[in-house]
Amino acid sequence: MTLPPFLADLIWTYQNVIVALGVNGLLALAMYVVLAAGQLSLGQAAFMGLGAYSSALLSLRLQLPFTAVLPLSVVAPVGFALLVGGPTLRLSGVYLAIATIGLGEVLRAVYLNVDVLGGALGLSGIPEAAPIWLIYLILAVALLLLWRVGRSHIGRAMEAMRVDAAAAAAMGVDVRRYRLGVLLASAALAGLAGALSAHATDFIGPNDYGFEPAVTILSFALLGGIGSPFGPVLGAWVLTLLPELLRGFADVRLVLNGVVIVLAVLFLPRGLLAWRMRRIAA
Amino acid sequence: MSLLALRRLSRHYAGIAAVDRVDLDVPGGGVHALIGPNGAGKTTLFNLISGLVAPSAGTIVLDGTDVTRRGPEVRARLGIARTFQNIRIFGAMTALENVLTGLHPRFASGLGAVLVGLRRVRREERQALDRAGEALALVGLQRLAGAPAATLSYGDARRLEIARAIAGAPRLLLLDEPAAGMNPAETMALAALVRLIAQAGTTVLLVEHDMRFVMGLADSVTVLNFGRCIFHGAAEAARRDPAVIEAYLGRRG
Repeated sequence: MTLPPFLADLIWTYQNVIVALGVNGLLALAMYVVLAAGQLSLGQAAFMGLGAYSSALLSLRLQLPFTAVLPLSVVAPVGFALLVGGPTLRLSGVYLAIATIGLGEVLRAVYLNVDVLGGALGLSGIPEAAPIWLIYLILAVALLLLWRVGRSHIGRAMEAMRVDAAAAAAMGVDVRRYRLGVLLASAALAGLAGALSAHATDFIGPNDYGFEPAVTILSFALLGGIGSPFGPVLGAWVLTLLPELLRGFADVRLVLNGVVIVLAVLFLPRGLLAWRMRRIAA
Repeated sequence: MSLLALRRLSRHYAGIAAVDRVDLDVPGGGVHALIGPNGAGKTTLFNLISGLVAPSAGTIVLDGTDVTRRGPEVRARLGIARTFQNIRIFGAMTALENVLTGLHPRFASGLGAVLVGLRRVRREERQALDRAGEALALVGLQRLAGAPAATLSYGDARRLEIARAIAGAPRLLLLDEPAAGMNPAETMALAALVRLIAQAGTTVLLVEHDMRFVMGLADSVTVLNFGRCIFHGAAEAARRDPAVIEAYLGRRG
């Protein structure tokens, strides 16, 4: 595939930002699927870490090709989600948030202390095997699938349980099953994002998947709005580009970033994209 | 055999018996009323029947199937539908989407079929749309099908909740104070609607404080007081029953 020279230059110059936009878009969708069903589950950074570390090990230790590594990268996060799913499904609201943040911190401690995971130094020399087009292809497919689900009876059931879980159950929605389902979907999406970012930047470390990224991923969805899957992706893009655009402000740019989030929560409670998708699939 | 059979059904909250050893048989067909003073345990009994609250003791049998240990979603699939005392519609959804949500158990397609976009999914959706349209028309809300549910007036929201509950043609419909807050004209229209639902083959069990509404509508009446069943029989007989009069008005002299 040949690109016009100016475009190739642009991509080369801003490669990190372009990768981050795609990866953060996927992470925003991982957040969206749980929030859309009313679960304030903040394990996305942890799932991303599991995807990143497991895929990096498969590439570095077993020298598997990326085409095999990428699908395998969902195994560890989805397995972990199954493991924690049972005990955490009884939780909701802020209790679930605290529990899932705690799980993320546990994993961070594991990365820091297990030799084969590189400890505090992390893993480096990961093959840069994830092309940019693949990241965006996966993002586009994820958007399409979530769009389809959102329009269907499954999307209606998810919105119903977000608004009123008891009423949804009285309508015949198996709330527990749906809660587990969205957790697994979230884990798979975040795991893919982790593997893609690990294989696009060649280095991963334990602090990439701690508390701060967990909250950042939440703010993608809060800023963008969850009326449709497009909202969180928009939020992710704004919050990824903003620090770049604010580079001139150096020291205060994180403050400005925070101000934008606070203003959005205060004045745009339904997010930048307040539009709500129609939930009828015919 | 009765459609719904409760046997020594109890629910305790920290030592207080909200529902205390209630035996109740609701025959299939017709309209049955559950009445009693405030705090008698009527809504708790509805929550027990629909599965939102687990009983402390006793059994709930629906048409020969013991559903005591089954979750609310299973009971909905078996044909128990309900409305709530404090209307609980899904506000951001349109009226039509609310009714479609009530048809959730009718969808056989799973996640896989939806993801690949099988034709079967569209067919199911079209069938559900037809049914939902009929339910909205029955309660007189077809022109508001596309309106966000949160924008509906109080009476319309109550009717929407009924449409959502009956769309799936349930065997047993639980109506929790359907006439609350309605003016006399709206109450009369509601009574006609409930009769229509019963004629269509759905057994109706309703909690209501409006006695004229109950007496004009119910084939049988069950009276609860302090969680216990104190009367069960024909509506007319309830009015003359000394225990019922005492529960509502207190003892004379």
